[in-house]
Amino acid sequence: MEANLEKKDVNRKDFLSMAILAIGGVISFAIGIPAVAYILGPALRKATEQNWIPLGLASKVEVGVPTLFKAKIEQKAGWITNEQELTFYVLTDNGRDFVAMSNVCTHLGCRVRWVEDQEQFFCPCHNAAFDKQGDVVSGPPPKPLDKFEVKVENDQLFVLGGGAA
Amino acid sequence: MMTNLANWLDERFGWRTVWETIFRRKIPKVNWFYTLGSATLFVALNQAITGILLTLYYVPSPDQAYATVQFITYELPAGWFIRGLHHYGASAMVVLSVLHMVRVIFYGAYKFPREMTWITGVLLLLITIGFGFTGYLLPWDQKAYWGSTVGTKIAGTPPFIGDFILRVMRGGQELSEVTLARFFGVHVWVLPVLLFLLIGVHMYLIIRIGISAPPKREKTDE
Repeated sequence: MEANLEKKDVNRKDFLSMAILAIGGVISFAIGIPAVAYILGPALRKATEQNWIPLGLASKVEVGVPTLFKAKIEQKAGWITNEQELTFYVLTDNGRDFVAMSNVCTHLGCRVRWVEDQEQFFCPCHNAAFDKQGDVVSGPPPKPLDKFEVKVENDQLFVLGGGAA
Repeated sequence: MMTNLANWLDERFGWRTVWETIFRRKIPKVNWFYTLGSATLFVALNQAITGILLTLYYVPSPDQAYATVQFITYELPAGWFIRGLHHYGASAMVVLSVLHMVRVIFYGAYKFPREMTWITGVLLLLITIGFGFTGYLLPWDQKAYWGSTVGTKIAGTPPFIGDFILRVMRGGQELSEVTLARFFGVHVWVLPVLLFLLIGVHMYLIIRIGISAPPKREKTDE
């Protein structure tokens, strides 16, 4: 009889320990999983969607000469909206088909500029040169200048970018 | 294997004695009202965890505080949940502390030898109210701004020293970026350190002295 009582007592303790452990586990997960999502949220956010960015008048592009266009886009990483200036070189050979190139050197991200008398894009950081189409002529860059999709509507030039640009 | 490791560690840390002292101590036959203190401690833990999570994104600056709170609430995954736990946890902590005190008062548990447990408890309540007061300003919305304007104004009502108190609290004559920064500093550094130090003392006293039994009706026949 006494032994029975003692056994019952131990069982009650064990039951309570297990109940505390189970409830504690549920609460830990109920806070832990949202906490992980909360911490990782900004890191896992996909790049912002690409948009058609208006550049200016297509008629401003001289045939056969890369022409500089600047566009402002708004970017938001967290709670601050920043205006960022993007720069493109637009090239046309016939006044109808356009190619837009980034002015960011594919080596280490310096800005390239068009040098008229040499007919080349020149990067001042490591003396890299690209030809008119953006292909590497000399220097360390591993690939040609980035190209963007272009469209013309009512003489208005647009490039598709913004996301990773 | 695990038992061997546990034994090896226990020989060095003596954690089993600590565990037994804290969780296997003898207690009198009590009722559910005796869980209010533990409930308050649990909410304090919740406030600490969710509070630390909130500081990952919150910026205590007038031009960003509101935007960061909006970002936490509406753009972060589960941000509304973390902020909600902290927001409602704050109210729960005050309510539970007071209920816990009411239990101690009605059961006469503040008497010898537990006066210091009571006094540290009163200080803990004051710290909790301080948390509520400083935390109220941090979202930097209209309610926060005017709530703290009125709150600091009330603190400034005592004669002679009132204006000085108000200027110290606001960090100047007006509620400003100085006020927001110091309320934040007090809320996340000064008060948490004080709270956990005093909880340590409070818990030490509870474990050292033991908790009081519910008072019994005295015999009336002399």
